[in-house]
Amino acid sequence: MQILNKSKIENALNQLSQKSELFVPMARGDESGFYPWNSYQVGSDRLMLDALNVLLPPKSVVFPQTERMYSFTGNGTTVEIKETFESSQPRIIFGLRACDAAAIACFDDVFLTMGFVDSFYQARRDNTTIVAHACYQPGTNCFCEAMGVDPSNPVNADVIIRDAGDAYIWESKTDKGEKLSATLGSLLENKEMAAPQLQPFKQQANYEGVAEKLKDMFEAPIWEELASTCQTCGICTYVCPSCYCFDIQVKSWGDEGYRFRCYDSCMYSEYTQMAGGHNPRSHEQERFRNRFLHKLHFFSERYGKPLCTGCGRCIVACPVGINIVQIINDIKEADTSVRA
Amino acid sequence: MSEHKCNCENPLVPGIVEVIDIKDETPDVKSFFVRSIGGGLPFDVMPGQLGMVSLLPVGEGMYSVSWQEEQEYLHFAIKRVGLMTNELHRIEVGQQLGVRGPYGNGFPVEECKGKDMLFIAGGIGLAPLRSFIKYCFKHRQDYGNIQIIYGSRSYADLCFKDELFEKWPQEKDTEVYITIDNPEEGWNGHVGFVPAYLEEINPAAEGKIAVVCGPPVMIKFVLQSLEKMGYTDEQVISTLEMRMKCGIGKCGRCNVGSQYICLDGPVFTLAQLKRLPPEW
Repeated sequence: MQILNKSKIENALNQLSQKSELFVPMARGDESGFYPWNSYQVGSDRLMLDALNVLLPPKSVVFPQTERMYSFTGNGTTVEIKETFESSQPRIIFGLRACDAAAIACFDDVFLTMGFVDSFYQARRDNTTIVAHACYQPGTNCFCEAMGVDPSNPVNADVIIRDAGDAYIWESKTDKGEKLSATLGSLLENKEMAAPQLQPFKQQANYEGVAEKLKDMFEAPIWEELASTCQTCGICTYVCPSCYCFDIQVKSWGDEGYRFRCYDSCMYSEYTQMAGGHNPRSHEQERFRNRFLHKLHFFSERYGKPLCTGCGRCIVACPVGINIVQIINDIKEADTSVRA
Repeated sequence: MSEHKCNCENPLVPGIVEVIDIKDETPDVKSFFVRSIGGGLPFDVMPGQLGMVSLLPVGEGMYSVSWQEEQEYLHFAIKRVGLMTNELHRIEVGQQLGVRGPYGNGFPVEECKGKDMLFIAGGIGLAPLRSFIKYCFKHRQDYGNIQIIYGSRSYADLCFKDELFEKWPQEKDTEVYITIDNPEEGWNGHVGFVPAYLEEINPAAEGKIAVVCGPPVMIKFVLQSLEKMGYTDEQVISTLEMRMKCGIGKCGRCNVGSQYICLDGPVFTLAQLKRLPPEW
């Protein structure tokens, strides 16, 4: 097997960032996320390959927070599309965990299947190589296994690395992965090492049967109680690796402008506010219910899996302590013979 | 002048069209007739399908295509209700717009063949139904009797008046019933809300398909009336409206349950709607 000695990690990252934009988990001041390796600042940044999950997921690599779509010129009555911005920049996400890799698989379902292919996403996705980092020691808020994710065998990975003490076991899974490994040349060595054993999870989400059960729970009284403390601030959607809802907006000045898309959140009233005044989810509780039904039921009805990969970021980020594991378990135990 | 037409490679980038005619339908509804620059259409639509219209520096909005006239033009009837439509109502003939589509499933024109048709609309709700009504007239031999029940707040607010009062009543085996909410001087027709008028007319359910579109409150009561009159859930079709941005089932906001109105809808039978969460 191939291994990458930990003493050579910076060399390897330097090498990988020669021809691609390389995103690695880093702490940057009070924040942490996947930032370009070539923006690494000695003293203020810290490489976080050992951390289970940095605060922000790597979704922005394939689905940026703000993405220009196309530019146009308009001179009075005439208009012209000038340029369509489909990114051809090669990118590597290095060191993301199984939950984040599985979340990108959810994105693939949304953007690349069901009738239309989203060209902007496809361009980024095709040019992205994923180096996933297998997990063996679930963290305080981790519950990926309950959501159908195998933490030590990430899906969607072009390369999987496994922490074996002094070195990472390096396993290419795809052609893309082979190509990327080849660029590392002699930095990868041949040596037999053993991967660790997966340790037990600390969070127990009992998701089994929940998607099915939710079919009949749209009007269940439990939503009022579950949603009662939600401030609809939307931070859960922002830190979520699998939340993908977006808005399309325009920026224009003089005779020119561009249309862009940006993250939106189902927690906001404007999300479904129609021009005529009607809003099907004007109430906080309706938005809360829609978010969790989307995650735990609607998505699975449409794509065959939940839209939650158990990373636990929303549990950490929520200002009022709403805990999706608790919600799953409450739904599981709810008495549905009582109707609102 | 732009050569850019439908960008079929990228479904989120519009083709450019020019407005060849604009017509005032009511004080707040205008009809816009558009075609590709130099002629032809950016895409073909079936009745009930949608087009995303953009006034490029302002915004995009999803509208039902009220009619496709051969390869001549697409007709959008658009009510002035918000920022985008306010700006649209200020443009003049010759203005170039972006259009992308077609989106949505459209009306089940094939499945309705051989049936009598009952169209029930309120206000701007006639705009999407009109594409189906005109389709029936164009393929007159494929459909049985046609009844159209339409209401609006006042006479001035009735859309497509020349068709309502002149053209459609002259079509073979066709009855057009029009009502306005309140009495007004010079109006000798029916006064009252659409659901009540529907019950008064009481069209027999047998062999019929009812197609309903209008404000949510009208739809709600019309569905109740139809049920009372013996229409089954499979005989009733409606077309839904939600806020939309992408039009291709990706951006998330137009869901009702696991269905996206822009992609899986906007047309559903009442039987299908009843299987969805009651959020429409």
